[in-house]
Amino acid sequence: MFFITYLRRELRRRMRQAIFIALGLALGVGLVVTVSAASAGVKKAEAGVLSGLYGVGTDVTVTGPAVLTGRFGQVKVGGTGDLIANANGAEDCQNGKCEEVPAGQSVQSLGAPYSAFTSAHVAAVARLHGVSAAAGGLLLSDIALTIPRNHGRAGGPKPLPPSPVFFSVDGVDTGHLELGPLSAGTIASGRSLTAADAHSDVAVVDSGYATSNNLKTGSTMTIDEVKFRVIGIVRQPQDGGSPDDIYIPLARAQALELARGSAATGEVDMIYVAAASAADVPAVTREITSLLPRCTVTTAASLASEVTGSVTSAAKLANDLGKWLAVLVLIAAFAVASLLTMAAVARRVREFGALKALGWRTRRIVAQVLGESVAMGIVGAAAGVGLGFAGAAVISAIAPKVSAVIPGSSRAFSQAAGQAAGGAPTGELDPATAPRVVAIPLHPSVTVDVIVLAVLLALLGGLVAGALGSWRIARLSPADALALVA
Amino acid sequence: MYKLTGVAKLYHKGRRTVRAVTGLSLVIGDGEWLAVQGRTGHGKSTLLNLLGALDRPTEGTVELDGTDVGALRETQLTALRAEKIGFIFQTFNLISTLSAAENVEAALIPLRIGAADRGARIAAALDAVGLADRATHLPSELSGGQQQRVAIARALVKEPEVVLADEPTGNLDEDTRDDIIGLLERLWRERGLTLVLVTHDTEIARRAQRVGIMNNGRLTFGQAADSAPMSVPGPPAPPPSG
Repeated sequence: MFFITYLRRELRRRMRQAIFIALGLALGVGLVVTVSAASAGVKKAEAGVLSGLYGVGTDVTVTGPAVLTGRFGQVKVGGTGDLIANANGAEDCQNGKCEEVPAGQSVQSLGAPYSAFTSAHVAAVARLHGVSAAAGGLLLSDIALTIPRNHGRAGGPKPLPPSPVFFSVDGVDTGHLELGPLSAGTIASGRSLTAADAHSDVAVVDSGYATSNNLKTGSTMTIDEVKFRVIGIVRQPQDGGSPDDIYIPLARAQALELARGSAATGEVDMIYVAAASAADVPAVTREITSLLPRCTVTTAASLASEVTGSVTSAAKLANDLGKWLAVLVLIAAFAVASLLTMAAVARRVREFGALKALGWRTRRIVAQVLGESVAMGIVGAAAGVGLGFAGAAVISAIAPKVSAVIPGSSRAFSQAAGQAAGGAPTGELDPATAPRVVAIPLHPSVTVDVIVLAVLLALLGGLVAGALGSWRIARLSPADALALVA
Repeated sequence: MYKLTGVAKLYHKGRRTVRAVTGLSLVIGDGEWLAVQGRTGHGKSTLLNLLGALDRPTEGTVELDGTDVGALRETQLTALRAEKIGFIFQTFNLISTLSAAENVEAALIPLRIGAADRGARIAAALDAVGLADRATHLPSELSGGQQQRVAIARALVKEPEVVLADEPTGNLDEDTRDDIIGLLERLWRERGLTLVLVTHDTEIARRAQRVGIMNNGRLTFGQAADSAPMSVPGPPAPPPSG
């Protein structure tokens, strides 16, 4: 009790100094919390981008080489059916034979943009050491084009290529729903696909696509002249950018391709792989590259390394400048706290000498001084955590959106192709490698770990300051202390 | 009882060695009041530090109740001070943030006395110095004389065998000085304390049983002030009772 009374009175006596020290520590701790929160927010944004691109349970994605390239003003879809749009209108090409699409008519084309894998490839990948599961996927692009009635006629629209209506269809292996892009989504209404749906004409529709096309659970939609019933609406992570539009059972997607004569039975164009452990991912990547040398093997790490834009700048800023700024402020706070504590100890030599003469052990006096410093550290920690939350709230309120530039990749193709066709790009464009910019709101998150770290840092600051002050007390003999009094 | 034999204390100031105390042999009997006079810098405070186990002799031995103080470890010296020796300083050395009672309590902290007993002893100590009604006052709220009374209560609350007072009236006016010395004398008589009092004041020194004069680190004995030094460094008769 005496300890607390003495400590409280002493801190009250030098309240201004105590507040100054506590505020210094609070500033350092607050910066650590804010920077950590911002850094966590950036990492979360990055993870969101990757999970949206990638699927939650997927460690490695294998994609065949792109079979198409597109140019400004042209849209091509793979397989034997090509739809070529140009300034004169459009041509529908089947098996090398092209027919001009008459004005006022619509044409549709469905195709896979990548070279196919056979089921044997998928099985071979699944058998690789370190692979716990592998599933095939078939990504299709459906393009519908309507030529205006007065296209190219006098008084009609300018002879620009007509804009296609585009959507992507993802054939999902219902036996491995834990892999692939659907695994990252959340069912907003209805239900997801199940193994029982493997041969049913059912579809799960992305929420954004459903809204823009007025689709609901129970609605019916047409894909390449086949009617599918919408059984669920899925919400994909926003951070992941444009998701695929429609998810149907893999077998049905393969059947659509087969019906067009553009694929063989059981072909897929993507392989989603889950490694037995994170440590196995590099080895699995090497094995797959060796097994399928012409394919693109993408891991979360390689994808992350290719993501650029302000999200990476923000991560770099948080990791480099922010971290070092916080460290510098903390060191400054520690130094100021230590100097002020040592000055306070120097002013109290008379007091400590008298206490030693009274029979107080050095360690008891040291404990008293340490207690005072730690108390300031606790106040600094509390204020620092508050400052950290405030800093995180300010960042959140300002809500700077960071952008992630995702290089053209397997998952990005369909969206990039859509943008290339529907947007107004300039110059030559290769849809398979077109970068995609995703805007992600930055939400700093203060975690319990960070709070614990902040409290420990502030206490450490208090302890360091107290220890330096105590070091002088410990070295002070009572006779010297009293001699200094005289 | 103190027994000092051939005690010397040397300090090093740069390359120079200063003999603060030298060739000191002395016996201070239980219950004796010894006054020590001398000019500033002639070793009075060093003598007090040696007697108070605040410092160790460079040469010779300082024994308190048969224990060689110089041979004790630091923790033992601390315990010795806590249990047997009370200090009174010229500048009081009260802790400014603590009340009178809390300052007195500070002397009981090393003794680990229970809260109830502690409270009773503090109250008794403050009562003995006439400050029972000032227990909650801070030093800044007390006069110089009252502060020194608190310091005396702090020295006596642990019921020490020895009280060492270094110029206890040096910062006080004449009336207050008489009050404080009267109080010390009364407590010395009542409690049978061994009192070693360093003072410049001849009037105060005359009230002691024995007066030692420190001169260039050597102690000689006389009746007080400018009196001729006595040659025999031994204890006088026991203090008068009552």
